[in-house]
Amino acid sequence: MTRDTLSKHAFMWPAFLIVLIVTLFPLIYALTVSFQTVRIVPPMPPEYVGLRNYAEILESGRFWNAIGVTATIVFISVMFQYVIGYALALTLHHNVPGASLYRVAFLLPMFMAPVCVALIARMLFHPVLGPVNEFFTLFGLANIPFLTNPTLAISVLIVIEIWQWTPFVVLLMLAGLQGLPNEVFEAARVDNISTWRRFRDITFPMLLPLSIAVIFIRLIEGFKVIDTIFVLTGGGPGTSTETLTLFAYNEGFKKFNIGMASALSFLFLIVVILFGTVYLAAAQRLTRRYQ
Amino acid sequence: MADPHVTLRSITKSFGAVQVIPPLDLEIRHGEFIVLVGPSGCGKTTTLRMLAGLETVTSGAITIGDVDVTATPPGERDCAMVFQNYALYPHMSVRNNIGYAMKVHGATPDEINERVSEAADLLGLEPYLDRKPKNLSGGQRQRVAIGRALVRHPQVFLFDEPLSNLDAKLRVEMRTEIKLLQKRLGTTAVYVTHDQIEAMTMADRVVVMRAGIIEQAAAPIELYERPANKFVANFIGSPAMNFFDAEIKDGAVLIAGQSLTLPKERFETLGNRSKVIFGIRPEHMRSSDHAVDLTLVPEALEPLGAHTLVLGRLGSDKITAQVDPRFPVEIGRPCTVKVDMNMVHFFDPETEVRL
Repeated sequence: MTRDTLSKHAFMWPAFLIVLIVTLFPLIYALTVSFQTVRIVPPMPPEYVGLRNYAEILESGRFWNAIGVTATIVFISVMFQYVIGYALALTLHHNVPGASLYRVAFLLPMFMAPVCVALIARMLFHPVLGPVNEFFTLFGLANIPFLTNPTLAISVLIVIEIWQWTPFVVLLMLAGLQGLPNEVFEAARVDNISTWRRFRDITFPMLLPLSIAVIFIRLIEGFKVIDTIFVLTGGGPGTSTETLTLFAYNEGFKKFNIGMASALSFLFLIVVILFGTVYLAAAQRLTRRYQ
Repeated sequence: MADPHVTLRSITKSFGAVQVIPPLDLEIRHGEFIVLVGPSGCGKTTTLRMLAGLETVTSGAITIGDVDVTATPPGERDCAMVFQNYALYPHMSVRNNIGYAMKVHGATPDEINERVSEAADLLGLEPYLDRKPKNLSGGQRQRVAIGRALVRHPQVFLFDEPLSNLDAKLRVEMRTEIKLLQKRLGTTAVYVTHDQIEAMTMADRVVVMRAGIIEQAAAPIELYERPANKFVANFIGSPAMNFFDAEIKDGAVLIAGQSLTLPKERFETLGNRSKVIFGIRPEHMRSSDHAVDLTLVPEALEPLGAHTLVLGRLGSDKITAQVDPRFPVEIGRPCTVKVDMNMVHFFDPETEVRL
């Protein structure tokens, strides 16, 4: 072995081993576990069961319910986050009086820990003590079961997601708006293009790649939602607000069925990868029309 | 002025407490090509943007074709503007860039196609109509920007340093194209540049500005031959005019111990003066029916082919002389050049106004 090849290996192997240990090993380990029954309580020796964990999950109604709940929360909340966030960013970009104050105020929710947000929401939406109920009482609607009625509980979770994560959209869209060349809009103003057409024909297409990225980040992050739901409803009433991550948590840490939880995690990963691929392919087709 | 098309009447512009344009008056005739020129920060772009409506006017009035447009939004002034950075819509093809405003304002597809083809034909853009701006060169992009202004058939064209981002060769080509186009269309044009060559070659009338004030507004040749003050004299002409503190006594100019005889009529109008600023352009150091000798010490030579620039000193002042390529000159050894005394300029040392 020459000196050259030696130094090549000296540089390559540590990097390869670190990647192997840090990323690949846990994944491979989890994948192995997903083909076994591993129970911690009561402790049982791992037993290879092939695809049985996967089959069991795919046959359970609870899994499909969790997918439905996750999709409902994620798609509806991200849609609102994008629309409201974009609108706020546009408003802030046009230097409304006190814009710098609003800029900070609008960003605050994003910096709060989701668990705190959930605890605050729990008080706000309390069926007896909460100010939201107090407000509705004024209109003769007393004691609305915000957190115990399935539809209302999901709606509250969606509202919280929107409240907490719209600032993220505002932040990125505002950065995008501030990066757009000013002259293009001045040219449009000189050409007597109305504000709405300027947005529709210039701002929106120019920020489309950013929009796609922002929505993508929010969707992927949204799929992983667990903390607010865990604190606020615990997946209830019943399993009506149980998301995929919460379902996996319950399997792993309440039933201590680690094999099942691993299989669930992998199914979750597959769902996200599939969705991500379809989304990006569609987005690419859309941007190609404009770029 | 007969039949002014665009009038700026005592317009001012302040940013907070800072007044960048003191009251400014300007009248522009129908079909005239006006160039606003001056050093950076002289207020030329601000003036143009006020005319376009992109900046509000602090006080004063702007009229275009007898209509007061001071408070009118930019889109309703019937001006078309070409920007330094082209300001093309990056996601639209050349065709859509040019036709976009017409489309928004409800023109029929036939009408749009006709005007777009007309503009593309005029600007040589037909092969590129379906390309996006990012696939065009700087010159082509600027032509698209001009095309976009053209199809609107506006009352006034506004150009904000449109050639600054182009290379030297393309700039020369484009300035001729713009000038010819404007003459052919007969549309009033206001053009902003910091390049005096551009100003001189394109304008019917050049407006030289400094610190928001119009120093002189005149035809290019008049600016060159009869600059209103030392600033204009210095700004117009390349290489710049030489200036020296001098004295006029008994029919001659005394500079650095040398005496240059003035033509009789010139001396009669000026009279004896103990202190005066004497100006001579490097290209006017040549023989004529009233040429006198001036001795200078050369420090460097710049042979440019058609002529040579001698950079040297006259006393303690710097001097530049333009001489024939074969003129016998050696660095460090005093040489004598001719000065055409018919072409010299005098300015008041206090006010710097032309005498």
